[in-house]
Amino acid sequence: MRYGFVIDNRKCIGCHACSVACKAENQVPLGVFRTWVRCVDKGQFPDTRRYFQVTRCNHCDNPPCVAVCPVAAMFKRSNGIIDFDPSRCIGCKACLQACPYDAIYVDPERGTAAKCHFCAHRVDAGMEPACVVACPEQAIVAGDIDDPTSEISRLIDREPVRVRRPEKQTRPKLFYVGAEAAVIVPGQARNVGTYLFATVNTKAHRAALQAEPGRSSGPAIVSYDVEHLRPWGWQVPAYFWTKSVSAGVLALPALARAAEGLAIGPRLETVLGLTGVVFMGLTAALLVSDLSRPERFFQVLMRPQPRSWVARGAFLLLAYGVLCTCFFLSSWAGAGNVASALFWPTASAGLLAAVYTAFLFGQCKGRDLWQTRFLPPHLVAQWVLASSAVLTLLPGSLGVTPRLRHAAVVGLAVGLLAHGLIVLGELAMPHATDSARRAVRVVTRGSLRDTFWIGAIGAGWLLPAVLLAAGRNSPLVVGIAGVGALAGLLAFEWCFVMAGQDVANS
Amino acid sequence: MEDEPQPPRNQLRSYPPVESWSDWVEHDPQAWPEKAERHYRLIPTICFNCEAACGLLAYVDKETGEIAKIEGNPVHPASRGRLCAKGLAIMNQLQSADRVLYPMKRKGPRGSNQWERTTWDEVLETFGARIRRAIREGRGEEVMYHVGRPGHDGYMERVLQGWGVDGHNSHVNICSAAARLGYFLWQGADRPSPDYANARCILLISAHLESGHYFNPHAQRIIEAKMAGAKLIVVDPRLSNTASCADSWLAPHPGTETAVLLAMAKVILDSGRFDARFMRQWVNWEDYEADGFVARGKTFEEFVTALRTHYAPYTPEFAERESGVPAEAIAQAAQDVADAGSRFASHVWRASAAGNLGGWQSARALVLLQALTGSMGTRGGLSPNSWDKFVPEPFRVPPAQERWNELLYPPEWPLSHHEMSQLLPHFLKEGRGRLDVYFTRVFNPVWTYPDGFSWMEVLRDERLVGLHAALTPVWSETAAFADYVLPMGLACERHDVQSQETQAGSWIGFRQPVVRVFRELEHGERVHYTYEANPGEVWEEDEFWTSLSWHIDPDGSMGIRQWFESQTEPGTPVSVDEYYGHIFDHSVPGLPAAAAREGLTPLQYMRKYGAFEVARDVYSVNEAPLSGADTTTQERDLLSKDGRAVGVLVGGRSVVGYETPSRKLELYSTTMRDWKWPEFALPEYIRSHVGPAALAVAGGETAGPSGDGMPRVEWPTHARGDVLVLVPTYRLPTLIHTRNNNAKWLFEISHKNPLLMSSTDASRLQVRTGDLVKVHTEIGWFVISLWVTEGLKPGVVACSHHLGRWRRDRDEAIERWGSSVVSVEEPEPGKWMLRVKEATQPWTSSDPDSQRIWWSDTGVHQNLTFPVHPDPVSGMQCWHQVVKVEKAGGDDRYGDVFVDTALAHQVYLRWKSLCRPAPGPGDLRRPLWFARVARPAPEAYLMSPAG
Repeated sequence: MRYGFVIDNRKCIGCHACSVACKAENQVPLGVFRTWVRCVDKGQFPDTRRYFQVTRCNHCDNPPCVAVCPVAAMFKRSNGIIDFDPSRCIGCKACLQACPYDAIYVDPERGTAAKCHFCAHRVDAGMEPACVVACPEQAIVAGDIDDPTSEISRLIDREPVRVRRPEKQTRPKLFYVGAEAAVIVPGQARNVGTYLFATVNTKAHRAALQAEPGRSSGPAIVSYDVEHLRPWGWQVPAYFWTKSVSAGVLALPALARAAEGLAIGPRLETVLGLTGVVFMGLTAALLVSDLSRPERFFQVLMRPQPRSWVARGAFLLLAYGVLCTCFFLSSWAGAGNVASALFWPTASAGLLAAVYTAFLFGQCKGRDLWQTRFLPPHLVAQWVLASSAVLTLLPGSLGVTPRLRHAAVVGLAVGLLAHGLIVLGELAMPHATDSARRAVRVVTRGSLRDTFWIGAIGAGWLLPAVLLAAGRNSPLVVGIAGVGALAGLLAFEWCFVMAGQDVANS
Repeated sequence: MEDEPQPPRNQLRSYPPVESWSDWVEHDPQAWPEKAERHYRLIPTICFNCEAACGLLAYVDKETGEIAKIEGNPVHPASRGRLCAKGLAIMNQLQSADRVLYPMKRKGPRGSNQWERTTWDEVLETFGARIRRAIREGRGEEVMYHVGRPGHDGYMERVLQGWGVDGHNSHVNICSAAARLGYFLWQGADRPSPDYANARCILLISAHLESGHYFNPHAQRIIEAKMAGAKLIVVDPRLSNTASCADSWLAPHPGTETAVLLAMAKVILDSGRFDARFMRQWVNWEDYEADGFVARGKTFEEFVTALRTHYAPYTPEFAERESGVPAEAIAQAAQDVADAGSRFASHVWRASAAGNLGGWQSARALVLLQALTGSMGTRGGLSPNSWDKFVPEPFRVPPAQERWNELLYPPEWPLSHHEMSQLLPHFLKEGRGRLDVYFTRVFNPVWTYPDGFSWMEVLRDERLVGLHAALTPVWSETAAFADYVLPMGLACERHDVQSQETQAGSWIGFRQPVVRVFRELEHGERVHYTYEANPGEVWEEDEFWTSLSWHIDPDGSMGIRQWFESQTEPGTPVSVDEYYGHIFDHSVPGLPAAAAREGLTPLQYMRKYGAFEVARDVYSVNEAPLSGADTTTQERDLLSKDGRAVGVLVGGRSVVGYETPSRKLELYSTTMRDWKWPEFALPEYIRSHVGPAALAVAGGETAGPSGDGMPRVEWPTHARGDVLVLVPTYRLPTLIHTRNNNAKWLFEISHKNPLLMSSTDASRLQVRTGDLVKVHTEIGWFVISLWVTEGLKPGVVACSHHLGRWRRDRDEAIERWGSSVVSVEEPEPGKWMLRVKEATQPWTSSDPDSQRIWWSDTGVHQNLTFPVHPDPVSGMQCWHQVVKVEKAGGDDRYGDVFVDTALAHQVYLRWKSLCRPAPGPGDLRRPLWFARVARPAPEAYLMSPAG
């Protein structure tokens, strides 16, 4: 049995009864919607039409929100309904990033994720969802798509149907009859900064909305939609950065040891170990503080959902944190043998801790910008870059030998080169989807352009590149290059994390 | 109830089965996925938010005794369990912290918004004594009841006639009077009842799919027909949701709709595709006189030739020149209508009728298409509303009052379809009378009516309005000028019986105070008055009026008390149970039998089901045979009884016919001829005050011909900008005029009303979406932001009327989800300035959502700047405005409104001068066959009473 919806646009009159029925049944607070009617006005007078699209959770057969949820708060019922358990949710908002349909929000009352759950509490009692019952036109059909005799199956068989964003391979179970491309394909209709009878919710708006106001009329404009909060705030790019620093403390030393047999002394071991521990602490603090239910963070470790890269990442970070702490403590306590034994395991765990985020972002199916295949190598490059930059900042008195400093300069240069090439590739290469293209536009021409061009490229790439070319033998010049590289990295993470979220999926 | 919908096997149910309504179990959605059972008793009632009276099912939580949610009532024959956004938002209204919970009495000066709580006893004493004195002193006309949302068929007429007072005023003349007159002249019933579900072609002049008169029931049936292949034609200058769903959207210049319709009629006439048999039998063609041709004594064929000649000028090309709609599109629409034949259904409500001088003729032109296609009273056609709306005889009917109140029906407008309510402030200013006791009931003229500042001037003057009670569930701009604010219940908190013509069949719905009924059924409690069970001391009108009537005539000496006295327990007031029990026992055919089949009394049946279907598949009632005993005289084909026409001979059979003087459909109105409007005896195109010709005059392009029946536009000195037509009447599917009653879910979806402007006009004016413009009317201006669109006829601007509510104080509880805080100043007498001081913003209340309000724009109040435009025939407010639109200047701020009420009075006088006053034939104030609310005794119709 698989429950699904058909929205019959031949019947929909855009009356919003479904939206209000849902608010009433599920006590949905102001500012968020489980279902809403997106409207697009298309055409030129007098050949103009308004198109409606009831927009909500698609109850996917292959639900990315369920895969990413670290605590199995989002789950699939045996009847195909994607349901959620607010009592388990830790508020990590990964499901909001995973959903390619912007169907999930954080409930302002509970601080937990919520969305259309097919009125599972009603279905369990044999009742149709509230919106289905309310609709004056019976334009919403709910039923078992596995039952060939059901009304929904017959409709799907008889009428041409479309789903939203089929390229996401989520296999939606919400089918539209009579879908109009200008509505169903994100970005086809333009936002003009306000709607016909409603304003844009500026408390929840996305930068992209502001980035794209053009002429105030045209072939297709959005006359009603609902905005969504950026799920992840400043903590996530900051976490990216602190994690690169922490995970990378032994990156360059390990590479140097492997390539040239360069060992580091106990003093530097202690300093690097301590840096790793402190920055890992910051990383953990940032992650927890971005949860909307931070007091529940331990649930990830207590009952992890094994497919989730949020959960996997938590264990990788924990493992690295423990190793790094032991490495630091043993080195600090003078137990050189132990520290030495821990060197390779700690460095390897650091690599995993650095790279796993690529897989987490890969699970965020709703963020086309993050779906890049370059992300794992890019994170390796960033791992090396951050590690080299940190070393360039440490004085010789802490045990950074000239050879090691030289290795750091090489690492910095290689890291910059790789980072630069990958960023160039991201900008220049054609993107698979329009959403990714729009996200890139937000970075290069939209609200993030200053952060990107001045911060990530100017300070983070050009400046260190020029400095390294000009004075790679001067510790001061190299140090400034390191500072620039680290600052640029932060600016880049900011752009990458924010732009990915700034493109609406409806 | 036999027709409860059953789900197919193994599929989800839409509604709880009736047998489990007394104990229905659901999982608590807030506890889910934990399965926490909640037990409910489901009690039906009917909605009170729009006029459709859809069926509701209230879920009363057995643990808390409170209403937990509202869904549709599946056994309601019209709404069939489905609801619109407005009906679903009732929970907001019930739970709002801003509603009026206790009777309140003014403390400071009137309008100062200082209130104290009082008791219902004090209210009854005060009003009872004052009304008693007025009636005793022969000042009955000074007692007036003015209703915004009615909701109870015939109830107040009974109360006022029980008092012997001619005091019923309504909102109809700012709403639907024009269309009503057009329909009434044809069929003797003032509303259409289209059988949408079975139609093959549907022509809508207005946005029926989002805001029709009976929005939800009609929208269901229109789409049903469309899915079955019916063609949908929508006539509207604006791209409404309805126009978006149409097969053909015709966007005429406002006020030219009648030209388009008559051109369609001409095409059908010329092509011979009309139903000659039907026309010959059922149209009063023998009364026809025009262009020197008199049909009496001639053949039907000669009449058709004459009719063709008469309508010959209305070519599609002519209509195109007037309206801008391509002639081919008009001709095609005519063919589509003709193709549908007897299964053609149409509707005009508000829209062209309510907007324009002569708008009532658009309804007549539309019915002409019905008559031509023979689609009157047919399956898939159009019936008179009187066939499908069932109004049961009330409990004890008092005799008609022998008085005529000229504040309601003044002699200048003898054919006005309803009370000239929009002119009340001007009448009071002219010294035509005063009000001693004025009840406004769910009525907010300061905001809703044109020229609200004139209302404010009158309402604040205690010499003109002695004692004003606002009967309302919520605070409003008008309640702020009352002396008493009396809280009356919402849809789940009161009794009413209501029916509407939503389909080819009839039904009644029963509104109930749900918690009262719950306590009586669940706990066997005896609740004496509904306010004991409602929140706070919110009461209901039924019990209020009965109690007040007893206070007016405590000892029965005035002959009033008897109409409100129990039959079973004489000497006590009639209870609601007895009142409705009486109606259900005696006045609803089939109900006692249906109840008996279930072992219930009729009242118990209605309390259980909330609705009853009286008849279905009602067609061709005009052909119902008239038994010989019904008639006493026969003149030509007309059958009369007691001097009143009751039937007609058609094809040799005595049948009841229509409720017109000729008992036929009246293409030719002898009434119009005899009441001084012979040029409008037929459906004709009257050039609107906003039509292309009027615009040219208003814009100074041409000099206006004098004596053409067109009111002049005289611009105030400050008015500048491009001359355009403002269409200010359209509704949204999510809002309810000023009766949203704190429905936050509705305001969240719709909270601003920009000025819609076509891209063509916008590029000429060099403005874009979001820009501020200043819109000048004949009496002032307002400042508003723009929405530039391809969905509007060039030359037209449009603005929805629901939004722009205001309060003068931040803490005033007037619709805080959708109102801004304003200053209202009168720097010189009659010159009013309203300016937004503060947009709506979060506030602290028992509802956490009041801290989450995320919008600040709540729209602009345009109606204040409209003068009254009473149509000289129908009396309807002609809402459309000729305006000048310019870019806003540096001093203009969003939401600014300026009005000069002296200019407003001048406009009133200019329109009044177009009238052709009573008396008509026989020294009558009004044609005797015309309907009138609370119809007085025949003697009262005489201008100079006998003796």
